[in-house]
Amino acid sequence: MKSPHSEPDALRKIRPEHTFFDDPALDRALGVVFALAGEVYVLRDRLRAIESRLGKDGVLDLDELNHEPSDEEKLASNADRDAFVKHVMHAMLGHQQSNGALV
Amino acid sequence: MSDAYTDAPIDGRSFVAGQAFITGAKSYWHTDLFPALTEEYKQAEKASAKPLETVDDVAEVMEHNTLYQYFAWCERYLQRYKYSGRYGLVPYYRQMRADTVELFKDIPEDQLELNDDLDMPRYYESFDIHQHPGGVWSDVVSGLVYERAASTTTPLAGNRHADLHERFADLLEQYSPAPKKVLEMACGFGKTTRALYNKYQDAEIEAIDLSGPCIQVGALRAKESGARNVRFRQMDAAATDYDDASFDLVTSSMLLHEMPPPYIEKTFEEAARVTKPGGEMVHLDFWYLPDLFRRFIHYTHGRRNNEPFMEPLAELDLPKLLEEKGFKDIKIEAFAETEGVLDPSFKSWRYPWTIIRATRA
Repeated sequence: MKSPHSEPDALRKIRPEHTFFDDPALDRALGVVFALAGEVYVLRDRLRAIESRLGKDGVLDLDELNHEPSDEEKLASNADRDAFVKHVMHAMLGHQQSNGALV
Repeated sequence: MSDAYTDAPIDGRSFVAGQAFITGAKSYWHTDLFPALTEEYKQAEKASAKPLETVDDVAEVMEHNTLYQYFAWCERYLQRYKYSGRYGLVPYYRQMRADTVELFKDIPEDQLELNDDLDMPRYYESFDIHQHPGGVWSDVVSGLVYERAASTTTPLAGNRHADLHERFADLLEQYSPAPKKVLEMACGFGKTTRALYNKYQDAEIEAIDLSGPCIQVGALRAKESGARNVRFRQMDAAATDYDDASFDLVTSSMLLHEMPPPYIEKTFEEAARVTKPGGEMVHLDFWYLPDLFRRFIHYTHGRRNNEPFMEPLAELDLPKLLEEKGFKDIKIEAFAETEGVLDPSFKSWRYPWTIIRATRA
C-alpha cells in the first residue's frame, strides 16, 4: 500500500457541507441536539449500571427508588424542577441578560 | 483527520452506549420515518401538477418536504456520529492501534499476503467511503472499524445480519455446487469469505481486496476459526495476477457499486479472463429499481453515505455489458437478505439487494 492520502491536495480537498434544511443553521443546530442526546443516553446507561451495582451490593433499595415519589418528595423537588425548566426555556423569550453597546 | 476527534480516551461502556443510541435512532429511521415519508411522497405525487417520471422530478417535489429533510439529515448525521465524534468508531479504535498490531502478528504467512507497493486507484482514495474517516484502508485499525460498523449496517436484522452472507453462500451453492477454486473479489474484512470457506470446505478460496487492514482482519478471523482453505491477498480486482481460466467461481459482495463505471468494466474483463469457460460469476450488489421513489431514495442515499457510484451502476445496461465482456445466461434478480423483506407489505427502508449472475461463455 502506498502512503495513505498520497495526493492530499489534489484529491482530499475539503468537500462542501451536506445540508438538508432550507436554512443550514438548522442542520448544524440539530447536530448539536443529537450530540447532546447521545451524551444523555451515555449518562443514563452509566447511571443504570451504577444503580444496578449498588442494588446488588445492598447499598440502594431499588424498589424504593423506582416507586413514585411521595408528595413530600415531590414538593421538595419542585423548586429544582422549576429552576431547571426556566434555565432551559428562558432563552426563548429573547431577553438579553447584559446591556450590549448601541451600534 | 476530521476535527471531530479529541484526545480524551473513551471507555468501553460509554462507547457501547453511544453506539447503541445511534443504532436505536437508525432503527427508528428505518421503521418509522421511512414508511411515513413514503406516505407523504404518495400525497405529493397525487398533488403534483405534472406526472412524476424521473428521479429529478421526485427530487423537485420532495426537497422542501419537512419530513424528507429530517429523513435525509438523520441518514447523513447518524452515520457521521457512528464513525466520528466522541463515541465514534474511528476514535475508539484508534486508541487500540498498538494492540491491533499485536493482534495481527501471528497470522500464518501462507494465509495473508500484503502488498505495500500496491497502487491504489484514484477513486478509492479520493473520498471516505461510508463516511469512514480515512476510508477502509489507511489505518491499521480500519478493518476492525469496518467489521464493527458492518454489524449494525442493517439494524433491523440485528444478529441476523450474518444471515445475508450465509444466504448468499447458499445461493452460490445452487449455481456452483462443487467448485475447486473460488475467487472472491473485494472481500473486505472477510464476512462473505467466512461463509465461502465454511460452505466450500474442499475448495481453495482466494480472497482479495485493496485494503491491507481489512484482509488482516479476514485472515485473523479465518485463523481463529481454524479454516485452512483460504488465502487473503492485497490486490486490485481489476488487475489480478491469476492465470487465465483458473477459477470455477468468481464472486463479490458489495463491490460493484463502489466503483466508477470504467472500473466496473475492467473488473468484468478481469473476471472473464480468470473464470473457466462454463464457470460462474456471481455478484451480490444493487442495481436498477423500477419504483421511482425507492430509486430516488437509493441515489440520494449513495450521496449521503459517500458512495457516489450507486447511481451510475444502477443506470448501466448490465446485461449488455456482461454479454460484451464474454458472459452468457445473464440473470439479475432481487435478493432477500432475510425472511419477508421482498413481500410488498414490508414497509421499512432496506438496501435493494440484487444478485447479478452470469456464466462464462
